[in-house]
This record gives sequence, structure tokens and C-alpha cells, in this order.
Amino acid sequence: MIEYLLLAPIITSIVCFFTKTRKQVEAVSLTGSVVTLVLGLVLVSQVYLNNIIVSWTNFLFADTLSAFIVLIVSIVGFVASLYSLGYMGHELEKGTMDLRRLRIYYGLFHIFMFTMLLVGVTNNLGLWIAIEMTTLVSALLMILYSKKSSVEAAWKYMIICTVGITFALFGTILTYFAAVKILGESGDALNWTSLVSVADQFNPTIMKIAFVFILIGYGTKAGLAPMHTWLPDAHSEAPTPVSALLSGVLLNCAMYGIIRFYTIATRSTGAAFTSNLLIIFGLLSLGIAVPFILLQEDYKRMLAYSSVEHMGIIAIGIGFGGIFGIFGAILHMFNHAMTKSLMFFGAGNVLQKHDTKEIFHVSGLVKSMPYTGAMFVIGGLAITGSPPFSIFISEFIILAAGFLQGHIIAAILFLLFIIIIFAGFFNNVSKMVFGEPKAGVEKGEVSRWTLGAMAILLVFVIVLGVYIPPSFYRMIMKVVEIVR
Amino acid sequence: MSEIVLGSGIMQLLISLILVSTFLILGSTRLYSCVRAFGIQSFLLACVAGIVAYSTGKYDIYVVSILTLVIKALVIPYIFIYIIREIKVKREIALYVGISPSLIIGGILVVISYYLIRSINLIELSSFALSASMSMVAIGLFIMISRKKAIMQMLGILVMENGLFLGAISLTYGMPLLVELGIFFDVLIGALIMGIMIFRINRTFESIDTDMLKTLIG
Repeated sequence: MIEYLLLAPIITSIVCFFTKTRKQVEAVSLTGSVVTLVLGLVLVSQVYLNNIIVSWTNFLFADTLSAFIVLIVSIVGFVASLYSLGYMGHELEKGTMDLRRLRIYYGLFHIFMFTMLLVGVTNNLGLWIAIEMTTLVSALLMILYSKKSSVEAAWKYMIICTVGITFALFGTILTYFAAVKILGESGDALNWTSLVSVADQFNPTIMKIAFVFILIGYGTKAGLAPMHTWLPDAHSEAPTPVSALLSGVLLNCAMYGIIRFYTIATRSTGAAFTSNLLIIFGLLSLGIAVPFILLQEDYKRMLAYSSVEHMGIIAIGIGFGGIFGIFGAILHMFNHAMTKSLMFFGAGNVLQKHDTKEIFHVSGLVKSMPYTGAMFVIGGLAITGSPPFSIFISEFIILAAGFLQGHIIAAILFLLFIIIIFAGFFNNVSKMVFGEPKAGVEKGEVSRWTLGAMAILLVFVIVLGVYIPPSFYRMIMKVVEIVR
Repeated sequence: MSEIVLGSGIMQLLISLILVSTFLILGSTRLYSCVRAFGIQSFLLACVAGIVAYSTGKYDIYVVSILTLVIKALVIPYIFIYIIREIKVKREIALYVGISPSLIIGGILVVISYYLIRSINLIELSSFALSASMSMVAIGLFIMISRKKAIMQMLGILVMENGLFLGAISLTYGMPLLVELGIFFDVLIGALIMGIMIFRINRTFESIDTDMLKTLIG
């Protein structure tokens, strides 16, 4: 089952390179992403029934946590490919893209999907390979436009993340070293399940060093401060559908790596060490996001800094621990993926209409682009954690966990930061959305595909704010059991 | 067992030579010499892996040794030379930190790594090979931040990777073969993609000085 899921995007990507016209490449891409979505959902339901599936002599593996990542990747991936039809089509009509580049774009897009799915379903310490592959592919997607700024952003992204990931490799080697002593050099030393079951016998000193390296390494990729410096550049310079995937999904994939090692390291070092590290890095990310969001002049960069903030919130949730903390963090991963992709899609529509990323040069969206404008406002309210939208629920649970577990100061700081960010972020959004449209901007939307993609995400944002379906709830509870 | 293999005289010699090659990269102002030193370093690493394979009798490690030889000692240096030739980089490296201070800092980094590994105070961790590996990671990082050319940042990353490879060999005789293969694949593809990016930087900015890449702030 898992191998079919991985095969779908690869085949799609290969076929994309051999298409002749715009219609063909779009049809192939859309079909491919529908197939990937369906297979992803089938995998999720199978895992839901059987708890664990393995294949390929244990190399591929899916438990509920993996399935959760697969769920996020396949939903956002599908929506992003839907959005690409409108967005990239418009770029083609404007002439900033040619057909050759469009083919390369869709081809790479599906390879990128493949690497992110692989992150979720690799069984072992080979997770590192998959995460490094995501960096390589997405860096290529970023230099699709040969603008100076995108080349600069892609180079920074590539260099900083590769260095970060090298540290993660050192952490992985140390973990393997600790595991080999207990498990012997059999293939078992590779499996998540066998690692977790004996992790309490690992040498705590080694696991402490390993966890620090893993946290710095994958933390770089997840955009935790102070290793986040590449993130605003990369996320604002990439083509919009890719920005959405980077912010909504890829950061979660890196966070998934941290969570996997957190479960192993905690059993060896005790919860205090790992939790405190996560809380410190999380609060730092929140704190650093504050001034950059308040004073931001570029709306795509503002969204990128908001991703730094939300990754910090997830790290804090895991750090607070307990059923509530982890439940909140896992739910937040899903909510953030949906809401942030929605916001980036909205920003992409605005960018194509106004040809500027400056907040100052955009106004009156509700009048000039009524649908985009309305969804952008709702998304803006949701992403800053206002009720009754989904992110409010997960942030509230994490906050409650902070007080319950006795991290009073951290919880108060957390609350303070998100309140300031709410004010700053929404101030910027309202500048863009309300008022009179700028002169010379015609009324009307850019494309129906992009609106459809946003509407799908909007459903998740609104529904999960008022109602969590029982099966989804049980799935998250299973994830919580794995992480604790 | 680990100490028997890695503590032997020939092994000590090889590891010292690997450190020397790292300093050759640090102390050279000519691109070709840097690439040559990197090739030598990778060749020596392949020898280390070969000896470990011979003394443990594991076929996996032979494979790793041969891959190191082919990919890191031949293919990647060739990629470097291809880039240097194609975009006609000036052969001299522009530096933020001069050669003599660089060498002194390199020496200091080695000493610090040695004491760091010692201070962890675990017998199995305090091997000579591991401190050499730590110093290579540190020096690789230093090369990345002290040289102006994008191509040297690529070299710095690869030196770090070599350092980790040495660490993995000395701690656990390398990772399981499947993981090791994946890492080789990533390193190779990574080198190729960084090469493509350097071409793109050269075409867009008409130079590969990273001084140009400082516009995105805030």
C-alpha cells in the first residue's frame, strides 16, 4: 500500500516531463494529485484500522503519526496543485513563464510531494535522507524564476538548511550509536518501534547530545528561531503554490522529525531536559516573530514570519507535554497547515493582481477582489487565533496545558506574544483589505481555480473551529499515545 | 573492538593525514589546490573505511569504501573542476579572514574539539577519530563563513559531511548500508544542485561572490 502512495507522484512527475501542451500537463498534474490524495486517504484509513502497516522488509512504515503527516501532505498537496492551475496558468498568460518551465514546475512539484510523503513513511533513521531530499527539490523550485532575489533566497535556503541538516545527521549517528549497543547491529536498530521500546536503556548523556543536535538540525528546517533566517526569504520568493507547501507542509515534516526523536530521547533523558529545550526554542521563535510582524512591509514575508511563530507554538505545545499539550500541538500542526496555505493562496491572488508585495501599495481588496478579500480576512482572523476558527481551539488547548503542567511563566509569555502578534498582524491585513482600491486596479478575480482551492481550505478552517469529528479526534488521541 | 581497529598505528596516521588535508584547504588561496586537497581527503577516508572493512570483515563497509572513492574522491572533485572551468572563476579565492589567521583559528578549533570530546567523559566517545571528526565539522563551517566565493561554501559543506562520515565510521562502523546509500545519493545530488545554483548565481549576478547576496533583510 505504502509503495503505491509513493509511486503515484513519481509517475505523475515523469509523465509531466513528456507532455506537449499546457492542457496536457495540467490534466496530468491534476489527475496525479487526485490519485495521490485518494491513495493517501486510503492509507490513513488503513492505518486507522490496523494501527501499523509496514512494507518493503520494514523499510517503509506507517503508524498513526506517519498517517497524520501523510494526511496533511496529501490534502495541502492536492489543493496546491489545484491552485497551481490558476496561478501558473496566469503566469504563462502574462509571459513570465514559458511552456518548458511550466513542465519543469509540475514535474518538480510532484517530486517534491514524493519527498514529503517519504518523510512520513520512512521507517527509520533514514528519515534524514528524505528531509535532505525535500531541501534539494524545493531549492530547485525556488530558482524557477531567475530573478536576483529568488536566486539569492534559494542559495541561502540551500546552504543554511544543508548545514542544519548536517547537524541532524550527527544527532542521528549518535542515536544509532546508542541504539546499536542495546539492539545489536541487526536491522532492528533501524525501526522506530524497536527504538522506542528500548529507548529507556539508552545512555542518557549520549541521547542528550544527540537531541540537541537533532533539535538544532531539524529545527533549522522547521524554522525555529534563531535558525530561522532563511525562512522569510525562501517562503516569500518561491512561487506562491510552493510557498504554501513550504509553510504549510514542509515545516511540519521537519517538526515530525523532531517529534520522533523527542519520543526516543525523552524516554532516555527524562522529560525535563527535552521539554525545557523545546519550550525555550519555541518562546524564542514567538518572541522573534513579534517585531518582524509588527513592522513588516512585505505581506508574503509577514506570512513567513507568522510561520516561524506557529512552529514555535507547536514546539511549545510538545514541550508543555501531557495529553493536552501534545494534543494541542498535533491539532495545531493540522490547523496551521490549512490556514497558512489559505493565506498564502490569498496573498498569491493579491500579488498577481497588484504586482507588488508591499502592504502599503495594496488596499480595498474587499471591493476589488470580493471573494479573495473576504477569505483573506477570515484567514487573517483565523491565523491570529481568534474564535471561532480552528487555530483558536488548538492554541487554547496548548495554553491550558501550560498552566496545567505548571509552566506558568512560559504560558504567560506565550499568551502575551500571541496577543501582540494578533494586533500587529491584523492591523496589516486590515490595511490591505479595507479602504478604497488603488487606482488602476480593475475589479475582478484572477482565476476560478485559485478561488476553489481557497474555498476547500476555508471549510477546514471554519468546521474544525466548531466541531472536531469523532474519528479525527480518535486519530489525534492515537498520535498522542505514540508521542507520550 | 572499536579501539583495536581505530587505535592502530596506521589508522592514527590516516586520521592525522585527513586533518592535514583539511588544513591544506584552509591554507590555500588557489581554488584548484582546495579541490585537490578535498579529493585527497576523500581518498584517505575511503582508505579508513577500507581498513575498517578489512579488519571487521563486513562487506557493507567495502561497498561504502568504494562509493566514497568513486563519488567523493572522483565525481565531486570533477564537478568542482567543471564549474571552475565553465564559469571561468578567478582562480584566487577572496577571503574575509586572511590565510594566517584562518590557520590559527583552525588550530584553535581542533584543540577545542579535542577538549570537548574529552569533557563528555565517556570512554567510548573519547576516541581520537571522533575529535578529528568534530574538528573537521568545525573547520568546514569556518570555511563556509570566511570565504567569499559561493563555490567555497559548497566545499565547506562537503568537508563537514566528510567529518561526519569519519565520526560515523569511528563510532559505529558506519550506518546500516541502506541508510549509507541514501546519504551518498543525497550528497551527490546535493553537489549537483549546488553546482546548478552556482551557474545560476553566476548568470544572474555575473559573479559568484556572496557579497552580492545580501539584499533580502528584515
